[in-house]
Amino acid sequence: MIPTVGFNMRKVTKGNVTIKIWDIGGQPRFRNMWERYCRGVQAILYMVDAADHEKLEASRNELHALLEKEQLHGIPVLVLGNKIDLPNVYGERELIEVMHLNEIKDREICCYSISCKEKSNIDITLQWLVKHSKASSS
Amino acid sequence: MNVSIISKSKDEDAIFHQFQSLDKAGVLQEVRTFNKSPISPKTCLVILSKLIYLLNHGYVVNTSEATDAFFAATKLFQSQDIALRRMIYLVIRELATIADDVIIVTSSLTKDLTGKQELLRSGALRALCTVIDPSMLQSIERYMKQAIVDKNPSVSSAALVSSYRLLATSADFIKRWGGEIQEASTHEQQMIQYHATGLLYKIRKHDRLAVSKLVTKLSKSTRSPHACCMLIRIIARHSPLEATHQDFIESCLRHKNEMVVYEAACAIIRLKQNQSSREIQSAISVLSVFLSNPKAVLKYAAAKTLSRVAMEQPGSVTICNLDLENLVQDPNRSIATLAITTLLKTGTEASVERLMKQIAKFMGDIPDEFKVIVMMSIQSLCQKFPKKHQLVMSHLSSWLREEGGYEYKKAIVTTLLLIIDSNPEMKEIALGHLCEFIEDCEHSDLACEVLRMIGKEGPKASNPRTYIQYVYNRVLLESPQVRAAAISVLGSFGSECPDLLPSVVVLLERCLLDDDNLVRDRASLLLAMLSQDTGASLITDGLQVSLFALERSLLSYTARPQQTPFSLKSIPLEAEALEEHTLPDITGEKEPSKDPVPQKETTLSKQDQLFAQLGSVPELSEIGLVFKSSHLPTELTESETEYVVHCTKHMFSQHIVFQFDCTNTLNDQHLDSVYVEMECQGDGFEMDCYIPCPALPYNKPGTSYCCFKLPDDKMNVTATFSNTLKFTVRDCDPNTGEPNEAGYEEEYVLKDISLDLSDHIQGLIRPNFSSSWDQIGGENQIEETMALSTSNTVEEAITQLITFLNMTPCDKTNMVDCSKKSHTLLLSGVFRGGHDVLIRAKLIQSNAVTMQITVRSPDIATCDLVAQSLVS
Repeated sequence: MIPTVGFNMRKVTKGNVTIKIWDIGGQPRFRNMWERYCRGVQAILYMVDAADHEKLEASRNELHALLEKEQLHGIPVLVLGNKIDLPNVYGERELIEVMHLNEIKDREICCYSISCKEKSNIDITLQWLVKHSKASSS
Repeated sequence: MNVSIISKSKDEDAIFHQFQSLDKAGVLQEVRTFNKSPISPKTCLVILSKLIYLLNHGYVVNTSEATDAFFAATKLFQSQDIALRRMIYLVIRELATIADDVIIVTSSLTKDLTGKQELLRSGALRALCTVIDPSMLQSIERYMKQAIVDKNPSVSSAALVSSYRLLATSADFIKRWGGEIQEASTHEQQMIQYHATGLLYKIRKHDRLAVSKLVTKLSKSTRSPHACCMLIRIIARHSPLEATHQDFIESCLRHKNEMVVYEAACAIIRLKQNQSSREIQSAISVLSVFLSNPKAVLKYAAAKTLSRVAMEQPGSVTICNLDLENLVQDPNRSIATLAITTLLKTGTEASVERLMKQIAKFMGDIPDEFKVIVMMSIQSLCQKFPKKHQLVMSHLSSWLREEGGYEYKKAIVTTLLLIIDSNPEMKEIALGHLCEFIEDCEHSDLACEVLRMIGKEGPKASNPRTYIQYVYNRVLLESPQVRAAAISVLGSFGSECPDLLPSVVVLLERCLLDDDNLVRDRASLLLAMLSQDTGASLITDGLQVSLFALERSLLSYTARPQQTPFSLKSIPLEAEALEEHTLPDITGEKEPSKDPVPQKETTLSKQDQLFAQLGSVPELSEIGLVFKSSHLPTELTESETEYVVHCTKHMFSQHIVFQFDCTNTLNDQHLDSVYVEMECQGDGFEMDCYIPCPALPYNKPGTSYCCFKLPDDKMNVTATFSNTLKFTVRDCDPNTGEPNEAGYEEEYVLKDISLDLSDHIQGLIRPNFSSSWDQIGGENQIEETMALSTSNTVEEAITQLITFLNMTPCDKTNMVDCSKKSHTLLLSGVFRGGHDVLIRAKLIQSNAVTMQITVRSPDIATCDLVAQSLVS
């Protein structure tokens, strides 16, 4: 997989819900632009590598910095811990702890463990997204 | 894509009309709607157009505004509308250089570039190359290489052109794509051939050999006319002499595209300008075919190039004369003018009359700028055929009477002045036309110019009285500037024509009550000058002393009044008198200002600097004022030696001062009490004093002087001096640069200096040589006859004489008329001490040059000295 240089835009249709996904690059030089693409959205998906324990601290700091932005107040966040197919990976509980997700009180926050490689738990992620789509939230 | 926008603008004039009253803040506000969802492609397209309109009309958008607009526009990527997407590319390209973080669109653009939608690929690529920075180029390198050889021509061409732009910042990358670019250069599409050729050349531009190879290779394969033109230009710039390349250019003369043929013809003409006319004949003949082509642009191009050739080699253009004559009637006036001016240069004497008639026919129909061009050719025609002056002049005078702007009238006046200068027979007729012209002339500059000429030539005319009325009319009718010039002209008549003097005085007296200061001042000055003999000659000869020195000596005279009256003879002369060929500023108007003017000012100020520098040395204040200083310092050392010394000679009436400008180029030495010890090989020169330079640190110039008393025997003017630089050295500490306490004596041998006759003489321009000649009279005269063994031609002899004597040629006698066997050279100058020297030299060319020379000077000793020096 090539890392995203900048952003990609994709539409996914599930039943009668169409989801527009803005895939924003995670490299340091793009992080200050995250906020621009998170304004006014229905949900923020924050995907981390749950097997890379060392990078999780930086990941946590970036997430908390992002959620502090005034304009993103109240937008539901789903944290996805990827790569559960690998050994020695953090599970959901450990991730919640490491990422200090309990400290986030001002919005709905949720955490799933998934594997893009083995397509595990993709279904519940989509369900979560459909649940938070415009129609159902209003 | 650009094309689509332009055509749109024609269809929807109304929209563009609305755009004219756009304001920046409003548009930037509208841009925010891009963040809303869902989006309407149609509305967004209009908003993006407005944004581009603003950017292209010079509205300045700051970085944060641009960044906001840019990110808003990226939101539109969610729409799949093709027109909208392409407009987004354009906006990205506009904002890429202003906004921050534009790199964010890299992935999206790459996706479009590699996507299936052909309509988006080239636009995405161009936008991608504007947002990419050199550090990110690697990530798209693969796509770029593929794009260059893409089978879609627009993608390939976009990749080539974008690479051309990227070359400035990322040359190393682009060079790696050489193989792909080479492949593109043989693409069947001509546009791609052209773009690839341009890129290949730009990559290799600095490597002559590589360029040469490239040209050899491409000149065989290229079919694109644009690429051919480019190759011709590359050859002209890099390897014009290579035989295979020359063959290529020659073969381009037979190319089926006219643009290539024209380019090749021009290149041949430019490259072979200095060779025989046969070399460019092939080019001339294709251009002559263009002359009868129905396309106006070809006719124009060919006529323009031919007229340029005609300036250098009129002979080689004569074969086109027939075609050119047909073009004289061309409805396109630009072509007709070019044809006429070319014909004027190539035509024979016999055709001049007919051409002038044709010119007269359409002169009224063409704009002034063309008239000026025509006038320029008439000027060169006048130089070529002096016999036609009368004919030309009758046309000139009628054009002078017609309507026309300043530039045009100026060109006519300049042509007439040129005729006056070069043709004595036409002088009075031309002056007559000019007098009539200033009777009704709205341009003060031109009136002044004409008045100057009347002042110069009028008094020498057969009946000077006729001009007085014209000149005095100016005093009565014109602006202060012209009035003042007219007054000065009256002065010249008064001083040069004794029989007119009483009437001139009466006229000048009337002017004493003029409203204008300058006019009154001039009138009273001239009246005062005309009342005494010396003053009258000043009017014709002008004041030729250095004004700076005059001011200084007047100041010192008033500070310490002496028994003897103040004399102008003691003032140094204007060093640049040699270069001045026109009358000094006595008639008041400026000389036609051309390039030499600023240059003159700088050298003048240099002379004044020298005076000031000399004046500041107290030891030298006793020996009077400097008579002249040598023009350029002489180098007494080789360049790039340890010490650099330049010498300037200052001549005084009884002394000579050598000024040594020294520079110490050794950073580990500090020099003290630096002076040049001079030893004289010559009789009667007495050492007067040394003025050493107290200290000479590294790289700071210092000056030392040495003064000699000149021999009492005036015949003794030449000498050689051998010179040694003497000084005390103190070595410097290599770390601190501080010089040590203790020093030691050291010396350094310099080149010799020679003193010649020319150092004692200052050239002086004399507008009225014969009157000065008669004034001195035959009593103080020496004649000698000699053969000049060192010169083969009269011109050479003249140059040598002028350099040897450093005197100024008068009445343009340094110009030799080749048709005559003998030539008379008139020289004028001043010997040190203020003695005028005039020389009349008759030169006859036989096997060698024989010269009969007559020297006149009020001081017979000076006469003798000059004559003796010439003989020996």
